[in-house]
Amino acid sequence: MSEKIYAWLLHLYPSQFREAYGTEALQLFRDRVRDEKGFFPCLRLWLDLIVDLAISIPREYGYAQAVSFGASAPQRLNSVPVFYVLEVGPPRPGAMLFGSVLSCLALATFWLSLNHVGNYVGLGIAATGRLQNDSKFFQLDASQTDRQTAIRATNDTEVFKMDAVERRRVIDAAVVILRKYYVERENAQKMADALLAHEKRGDDDNVTAGDAFAALLTRQMRDLSPDRHLTLDYSQNPLPEHPAGQTPEALARYRSAMKQLNCTFEKVEILPHNIGYLKLNSFPDPSVCQSTAKAAMASLNRADAIIFDLRDNRGGEPAMVMLIAAYLFDHPEYMYNPRENTTERSWTRSPVPGNSLADKPAYILTSRSTFSAAEHFSYDLKMLKRATLVGETTGGGAHSGVWHRIDDHFGMGIPETKAINPFATNDWAEIGIEPDVKVRAPDALVTAEKLAQDKLRKK
Amino acid sequence: MPKRKLDPLPSAAFQILLSLVDDDLHGYAIMRQVADQTDGRMRLGPGTLYSSIQTLLEAELIDQVDSREDTRLGPGRRRYYRITSAGRKLARSEAERLADLLRVARAKKILRGRYV
Repeated sequence: MSEKIYAWLLHLYPSQFREAYGTEALQLFRDRVRDEKGFFPCLRLWLDLIVDLAISIPREYGYAQAVSFGASAPQRLNSVPVFYVLEVGPPRPGAMLFGSVLSCLALATFWLSLNHVGNYVGLGIAATGRLQNDSKFFQLDASQTDRQTAIRATNDTEVFKMDAVERRRVIDAAVVILRKYYVERENAQKMADALLAHEKRGDDDNVTAGDAFAALLTRQMRDLSPDRHLTLDYSQNPLPEHPAGQTPEALARYRSAMKQLNCTFEKVEILPHNIGYLKLNSFPDPSVCQSTAKAAMASLNRADAIIFDLRDNRGGEPAMVMLIAAYLFDHPEYMYNPRENTTERSWTRSPVPGNSLADKPAYILTSRSTFSAAEHFSYDLKMLKRATLVGETTGGGAHSGVWHRIDDHFGMGIPETKAINPFATNDWAEIGIEPDVKVRAPDALVTAEKLAQDKLRKK
Repeated sequence: MPKRKLDPLPSAAFQILLSLVDDDLHGYAIMRQVADQTDGRMRLGPGTLYSSIQTLLEAELIDQVDSREDTRLGPGRRRYYRITSAGRKLARSEAERLADLLRVARAKKILRGRYV
């Protein structure tokens, strides 16, 4: 560990110095670590190193710069801008040190501010997902909704107050949308009646905050249908009048959020015994993340087995599910998706050129949080006997919703489709997917690694 | 003209020259030798050590001789350095300069003792 730190610190030196003496410096460090054992010698070693770095780095930069100054021969070319350096000497070591400290401060401030606004980035992604055109599915589960509501509540200084007329108006609109669009007609009617009954009994009278009211109505609906894709949401910021289509700003926001999160490909590693490991925390939009996904799969291409860790994956785009699943087959395979009627897009684009994972053992790690598109991926690969599921029963989010705007502040997510399941079993709606090997989610990786090792040994 | 200055001779460079007087040494051995000859007061860090070595090489006060293993320290080839005659000469004149300084200091009764 300490060697890695020192190797990293060596990168602070100019490249010429590193190339000439980097290996030697590291060797010397290793020798000293070996010979100077114990707490105090180790402390002394690091103090020595820090002092050494503080003194020698500015000096080496001074030398490096002196060389580059000497090497530059100003030559004036016609119509080409020329820059003259007025300060002929290299900066003083003090100035270098001051510059370094200032840069560190600037970086720290930038990092802090990024963390501070992290919540808003999250909301940005959610908003992008919701405001896509009506043919797109949004996948927003209960806990996300609650989190966002909580964030809004804490951020808002001015809470939107509702009176009886406003409440009635939202309920009426929700009732109309439920009756018109909800996939299970019978339940839709029951839920609509329940909303009206609660309102009549005065159950909603004490609620004046918009977010609390949205949460209350969601609860009232879910009392009758535990469908986590069915939500009534509140937004403090006015919702756009015509949310159809992706605005360039929303797309840019999504792009930058995905870039920051590496498209939610949290870990791509080769574990011992040449087992590929991919921790994927969502199935992002391939129009933005295709290259990241392909690069991740390519880097695992030589693995003898592959583990997909979906324990923190709460869903995303079906197209990304298809893109990744394509690597696991050597022929186009039908992937059932309860959200979409069967189309050309329901078959994987296998074989993927250059791919050698099609016949390798595959494992999927699941938890109670594995949800929606992650369940789409897990369910199909389990039913096709292409992957072994290890972990906990998944969250059970199969329906998908289309976003309906009620007014400036309220909207509803309504599941509208229900495709026919070719596997002649229940899909994962509400019940989740039973794993093949049931273990606690934190133990799933170790278990899957053991299974993969056993399987590879038997080969 | 060397890019790095040796006038006045930095103490690290002087100590490195002295450490090489008896034998060719690699970087870590130089560091240990310098620590020994200064009673542990000067422990050259890798940056200072190799920066000084580079300066001395450019001034042709030391040479890089060959790369070989140090069996006491385990596998891995190490670069060895040797003092040149110019290096010896400079070390000697620096020692004489310091001896002169010492004599002055003793004459001024700043320092006690019979020997230079």
